[in-house]
Amino acid sequence: MEGVGRVAAGELTNAFCFIGAGGHHAGRNFFGGYCCFNDVVIAFRQARRTGTLRRVAILDTDAHHGDGTRDLVGDDPDTLHVCICGEDYASQDGTKVDVAAPDPWAIEVSADRAYLDLVRKVFPPRAARFRPDLIVWYFGFDTHQGDYGDLGLTSEAFLGIADLMIDVAGQGCGGKLVVVLGGGSRTDLATALIPPVIARLAGVA
Amino acid sequence: MGSDRGRGTTGIFYHPSFSRRSYLTTGRRLADFPAALDSLLRYPHVRLYECPPAADELILLAHDPGLLPQVEADPL
Repeated sequence: MEGVGRVAAGELTNAFCFIGAGGHHAGRNFFGGYCCFNDVVIAFRQARRTGTLRRVAILDTDAHHGDGTRDLVGDDPDTLHVCICGEDYASQDGTKVDVAAPDPWAIEVSADRAYLDLVRKVFPPRAARFRPDLIVWYFGFDTHQGDYGDLGLTSEAFLGIADLMIDVAGQGCGGKLVVVLGGGSRTDLATALIPPVIARLAGVA
Repeated sequence: MGSDRGRGTTGIFYHPSFSRRSYLTTGRRLADFPAALDSLLRYPHVRLYECPPAADELILLAHDPGLLPQVEADPL
């Protein structure tokens, strides 16, 4: 919450937020999947209350659908919510979008390439049209090879998405990007992936 | 070292408790943190913030009041 608030207010350019127990499976009156409360939605609603932002664009690349977030923002035209998960859906106004992740066993290019190409296809054009004040990336590494949502991805995909999100935020909302840690269970992957993502945010990679 | 792209102030929001009981599917996924961030925290434009507790009033911006006791009662 503090991270979104400070980035929205312009005190920080961007932020990486470790959160204790997920967030995107917590809806208005339900919680699960190790998500107690929806940190992201609480944070930008608070920022809206203080007048530092209105429109928020969210990319969710955690392995599982962000059902709690969708429950909370489903009727909110000022939130673009693009979730890469296991299904395809687009709301009439185009602000709520689910896209099926590439099946790593049914593609001819590498899993990293297919996933990154998909993210490039589905998020930047929508974000450009939506013109958000701030972008949130739900960064789950559960889709990494060997983790519980394995989609065959390696660091190449995650760091590629980080670069892409920094570019999209730089072009569309003054660089205001908040990266929120989603799923992923392995200490070795957290240690290998998180510092390079933060290094990119800081421009020192 | 690296490009200036994205150079501004970057905040890292963290609480030590996240390394002790974070994401309980397998427990200590952040066991190496915050030490794993030491090389980044040497940069003056990279700052570590300790996450403050959230007031119930803030949680209610997104959730029904009935969810709070449910979460509190959960053995999670």
